[in-house]
Amino acid sequence: MAISFTVGSAGGEYMEAVVVLEWHASVGDMVTEGETIVTVETAKAAVDVEAPCDGTLSSILAETGAEIAVSEMLGTIGTSVDDTEAVVSPQEQMDEPETSTPSDAPIRSTKNWPAGDRIIVSPAARRAAQTRDINLAQIDASSPSGRIKLRDLPTDVTGVSVASPIATIPREIGPLKVYRSGAKTGVPIVMLHGFASDAQSWSPVERTLSPRHPIIRIDLPNHGKSPKRPIGVFRGLAREVVEAFDELELERAHLVGHSLGGACALSLADIRPRKLASVTLLAPGGLGPEINHTFLDGITRASKPDSLEQWLKLMVADDRLIGRDFVMAAMASRSDPALRVAQQAMAEEVFPDGTPGFDLRAALDRLDCPARIIWGKADRVLPWRNALAAPGRVGLHLLDRIGHVPQLEAPETVIDILKSVVAEAIT
Amino acid sequence: MTMMRYAEALNAALREEMLSDSSVWLFGEDIGRYGGVFKVTKGLMDEFGESRVRDTPISEQALTAMAVTAAMTGTKPVLEIMFADFMPLTLDALVNQASVFGYLWEGQVEMPMVLRTQGGGGVGTGAQHAKCLDALVAHVPGIKVVAPVTAADAKGLLKAAIRDPQPVVFLEHKLLYNMRSEVPDGDELVPIGKARTVVDGSDISIFATSKMVIEAEGAAKALAKDGINAEVIDLRTLRPLDLDAIKTSIAKTNHAIVVNEGWTFGGYAAELSATIMDYCFDDLDAAVGRVAMPDMPIPYSEPLELAVLPNAAKIATAARTALA
Repeated sequence: MAISFTVGSAGGEYMEAVVVLEWHASVGDMVTEGETIVTVETAKAAVDVEAPCDGTLSSILAETGAEIAVSEMLGTIGTSVDDTEAVVSPQEQMDEPETSTPSDAPIRSTKNWPAGDRIIVSPAARRAAQTRDINLAQIDASSPSGRIKLRDLPTDVTGVSVASPIATIPREIGPLKVYRSGAKTGVPIVMLHGFASDAQSWSPVERTLSPRHPIIRIDLPNHGKSPKRPIGVFRGLAREVVEAFDELELERAHLVGHSLGGACALSLADIRPRKLASVTLLAPGGLGPEINHTFLDGITRASKPDSLEQWLKLMVADDRLIGRDFVMAAMASRSDPALRVAQQAMAEEVFPDGTPGFDLRAALDRLDCPARIIWGKADRVLPWRNALAAPGRVGLHLLDRIGHVPQLEAPETVIDILKSVVAEAIT
Repeated sequence: MTMMRYAEALNAALREEMLSDSSVWLFGEDIGRYGGVFKVTKGLMDEFGESRVRDTPISEQALTAMAVTAAMTGTKPVLEIMFADFMPLTLDALVNQASVFGYLWEGQVEMPMVLRTQGGGGVGTGAQHAKCLDALVAHVPGIKVVAPVTAADAKGLLKAAIRDPQPVVFLEHKLLYNMRSEVPDGDELVPIGKARTVVDGSDISIFATSKMVIEAEGAAKALAKDGINAEVIDLRTLRPLDLDAIKTSIAKTNHAIVVNEGWTFGGYAAELSATIMDYCFDDLDAAVGRVAMPDMPIPYSEPLELAVLPNAAKIATAARTALA
């Protein structure tokens, strides 16, 4: 009764073959569902393949270096090492919904969320907001009590909140997708990706750091394999990240965030300062009002490789990095129209009128653990000069001829910086 | 329709029921020859004789036990307890007998008794003759509790109470007896357990009974000057509660004020408030406002008494607070 697994959807619909880069488990190892067991190269990007279920890795059918078709079996997971006969179609397994059934769906925890940030709202207004998908975080309370009342909500369906595409996004439940890899012991490095990206964007640095550190990568809401749902203004996004972080129940962590994920990291650091051993921000958002809003609009709208390619090129200084294979793989990860719509809506929520609706300079000022900011001086999405807002004790690494995604363009440099800040941190 | 005083309406109800049903009889302190301290039973002894309208000694405990026994054995007693302040003396018969006998004997026993009493302050009668003890009796399952404010409801509800097979505590208010209003002619019953909308409104629902309905109407008038449309609901029956009326009104207004002349702590207003929370929570746009008597004895000094009793101004303030 072994279950076989393939590259599956991770390979992308445009790919036919992949190369096995590295097995993270050996035959006979116990694996748990969601654990990265093998990394393959698709279109020059490394993609992690996760165990589809709990069990024992009973066979490896594609050794490191092998080139196999996307549909070909990589290996099997069985009840024991002898259990190698695959009887369950891998696709059936891979296609299982990510989110659990409503009855056993995890209830979103709001524990430890600072009371000052709770939205005070009357029961009637709360119900109306839920029914009409109104984002309460955008509503001002007119009552002297500070409580949002019915009268504060838009009065009809033409109201601003109701008319936004947020209203059309189905609200998926469940926790954010978390990927664990790397060393089993030590202080984990938690990675938060940027807007319109996903946890896979950390692959270049994750591979190098994982032998020595536990790595935890989180897909932001409406990104990667995380649920799609309206998140409200930036504060709502930050809250989801804090909740996901709390669920990890870590003693300490090194935090790494890129772009919007950098903004989330700053917010998380402000709320859970004692949990963080270090913070490294790559081109973080929230340090200034400027952002390339045509990029936000363009990348979320792009539904074809040709259009996506232009925006991907804008993200890097040297656009030779963005080959056709890279574009195809990136397009594959964004092939779900619902994902793109959810991200468009999220862009409107988090970047209203093409402006970051949040200012985290004060949070940056309050950072009191070892912290670094890495920024490419050829960044065309967020201006690198925002880094100058950093207080003196935050180290700045300004990289020449590097664009918005240093971990892609200069992975070695980013890894060196991460290693040094991790070494510097008191854990 | 006939214009009559509240006391006259009660008198008419008693008389009509005694005429139509020979098992109906009245007893209590000074209700016969004297016609009752508030003249509710005036003339009835003359008309129906001393066996159906009886003056009794002062012993509320014995009187209530007597009502229970009389009801169990086939008659329809209407007992008057002169002041609601003495209701604690009636409680053993109500709590341990009247309310449970039907249950203990599997419904073989009916308990068609009515206990009339009057409470409430506002005329300087002090800490022992002015209380509103609604909550004491409304707390007990198996007893119906009504508290009409208009003469029409007084008549219609008393007739319904006398005909009800379960024990009914009929709460009157000393300040209502002389108030006049239109009363339908003839054998008109007002159903127990049905509220009445006194003033239609869309902004806030005010729930009250007995004299507090008049205060609530006063509050609604004051609020109207500010452009606030308050809805006033006279619950008429404290138990069983007209939940539908409460839910319908709050679904419309999303705001609720509960009013009761009794004490605040553990009082009838507290019960209303909790019930609203149970059934209407998601309709509420503000916390339920509670207007009740402070937890203290009723002062003998009239200015102090008027200062502590719930009134229109306090209800209006609570409404403005809820709507803020």
